[in-house]
Amino acid sequence: MRILVVEDDPDLSRQLKQALSDAGYAVDHAPDGEEGQYLGENEPYDAIVLDLGLPKIDGVSVLEQWRRGGLATPVLILTARGAWSEKVAGFDAGADDYLTKPFHTEELLARLRALLRRAAGHAAPSLSCGGLRLDPRAARASVNGEPLRLTSLEYRLLHYLMMHQGRVIGRSELVEHLYDQDFDRDSNTIEVFIGRLRKKIGNDRIETVRGLGYRLAPLAGESAEG
Amino acid sequence: MKKRGAPFDLETLRRPSLVRSLIWMAAVLGLIALVTAGAAMTWFFQHSALNRVEAQLNEKLDDLYAGTTVESYPTGPEVIAPALTDQAALRAYSGHYWEIAEPDGKGGLKVIQPSRSLFDADIKPPADGVARLKPGAPIHYYDSAGPNRQRLRVAARAAILPPYPRPVIFLTADDRSDLDHDSRRFAELALIALALAGSALIGGVVLQVRVGLRPLFRLQDQVADVRKGKADRVGTDYPVELTPLASELNALLDHNQEVVERQRTHVGNLAHALKTPLSVMQAEAEQRPNDPLAEVVARQALTMREQVDHHLRRARAAARAQGLGERTEVAPVLDELSRTLERIFGERGVMIDWDAEDDLVFRGERQDLLELIGNVMENACKWCRRRVRAVAEPDGPGFLKVTVADDGPGLPEDQREAVLRRGERLDENAPGSGLGLSIVEELAKAYGGAVSLGESGWGGLLVELRLPQAEA
Repeated sequence: MRILVVEDDPDLSRQLKQALSDAGYAVDHAPDGEEGQYLGENEPYDAIVLDLGLPKIDGVSVLEQWRRGGLATPVLILTARGAWSEKVAGFDAGADDYLTKPFHTEELLARLRALLRRAAGHAAPSLSCGGLRLDPRAARASVNGEPLRLTSLEYRLLHYLMMHQGRVIGRSELVEHLYDQDFDRDSNTIEVFIGRLRKKIGNDRIETVRGLGYRLAPLAGESAEG
Repeated sequence: MKKRGAPFDLETLRRPSLVRSLIWMAAVLGLIALVTAGAAMTWFFQHSALNRVEAQLNEKLDDLYAGTTVESYPTGPEVIAPALTDQAALRAYSGHYWEIAEPDGKGGLKVIQPSRSLFDADIKPPADGVARLKPGAPIHYYDSAGPNRQRLRVAARAAILPPYPRPVIFLTADDRSDLDHDSRRFAELALIALALAGSALIGGVVLQVRVGLRPLFRLQDQVADVRKGKADRVGTDYPVELTPLASELNALLDHNQEVVERQRTHVGNLAHALKTPLSVMQAEAEQRPNDPLAEVVARQALTMREQVDHHLRRARAAARAQGLGERTEVAPVLDELSRTLERIFGERGVMIDWDAEDDLVFRGERQDLLELIGNVMENACKWCRRRVRAVAEPDGPGFLKVTVADDGPGLPEDQREAVLRRGERLDENAPGSGLGLSIVEELAKAYGGAVSLGESGWGGLLVELRLPQAEA
């Protein structure tokens, strides 16, 4: 397992490298955003530990460029900035986890293990429909290359629609697949989620077939793109 | 006007008011001008009417004097009145009279020849006596009572007509009732006209002041909007006199914003600067389990971290207190937090759904709303089995309510208050570090809101946040 650490503080970098090596990982280190971005793009890492306050290019920008370039490697953000606005920005940029300084080394190792396990667990191929892409391995979706920001219910809904694109899917079927068995099912909320999903992926992508259900329309999207 | 500004009480009335002083000034000046104009007009009318009457009296007096002759009879000289053609002077009590007389030596008049219209009456001498009627003196005009309760204007002069031994006094008199009546009518009409003009003037002034000061009231409303969070700046489309005030206000708001931003940045930088060394010290200490120095370092690093967090929160709260006119839509915040937390708790398969109307707006900063709801939702994610639900809705005028429910074990009723009051951690046993609901309570109070705990429909904990709502 090969891990990239992007961190500018020399002492912390030394500690991280030591701890990760001790845990059995191969570790590369980049002291600034520029080098970090280059390494991330060009070396096959299994996971990346990324600081946000970096010289040259800040961590969020580095992460955004990786994700835009299609890099699916799990990224754990390590930062002193623990406010929710900063966490949200980090996850929106494409982070998979977020750890606030000061932290315990054990916790970092545990989170990394979880990330690696998660990334290895899903081996399903990615789905596409028009400009829409969905990557079940990273649990990410994008429209025309722009990452989509979906909640898990929205993601599940899109996933199911994409797996059955072109077919009309009834509301009860959607409810069935959206919620687990032990959930109380309120079929009215399906409309709410369809509405939100339409806002995020474009209004004409999901057709309402009156009395029957919904259908993801591949052609409408493609013709709109020209 | 009452709805603007302070309540309409005596204290408000006692303070100087632009509107009142402008109206008062215009009213007083207008009143003085109108009364003066009215008095002058009435006086002028009366004066010129009297002049006309006196001119006629004068003419008749001249005719009378010119036509009067003195004949010498054996009994002595006698004054002979002319045969005047004035028909009116023939009709009894017609209001037009003449008389030729001589002093009776006792201050009165002895009639020599009256006009026929006088019938059995005579023209009274001046009140201050006949002495002032000296030959050669200018014509004397005076008022006197006449027959039939008429008021007469009298013209009188004395002349020596030799060989008549005594001065002869000529008097002509006209009834002045018509003149007085006309004068009174004129004065009445003038009064009515001027009163109307006066009210129109005051009405006009009131209107002018209200309309003229309207931009001022508009500015007041806009500043209130900024304070209420309806707007973040005041407009700039004001008259030239108010534009500088509006731009100064905007500059002040900008400055305010800038100070808040700078403080935030500063605080964030400080956190970053301190937390990395703390991490290093902590990690270094952890590697030497049995070293007493490492133990001290670890303990002190923890204290330092708590101190840093505490002071960061205080600095942020201070910065927040200056923030004005901030608005944050609630729905996107719930969406962002749901996505973020689902990633953080992805390992456990936590599923979050949220509901909020699109036009629900929090009156305050986005960072703070994220902090408030983020902490509550994170807490719910830590304790739930699978599900968390966040719902935001309006809660009475000026407030909104965010309820976060989970399907975890919940919290016994007797512990709920203690958790909020003492700022105890709800998450002591859950993995990860965090300060739980104490931060939330502190922040919500800073916004004039509140936090309360209850039981969710799933039997877990229900946290209700009451926060200020910005008007749409």
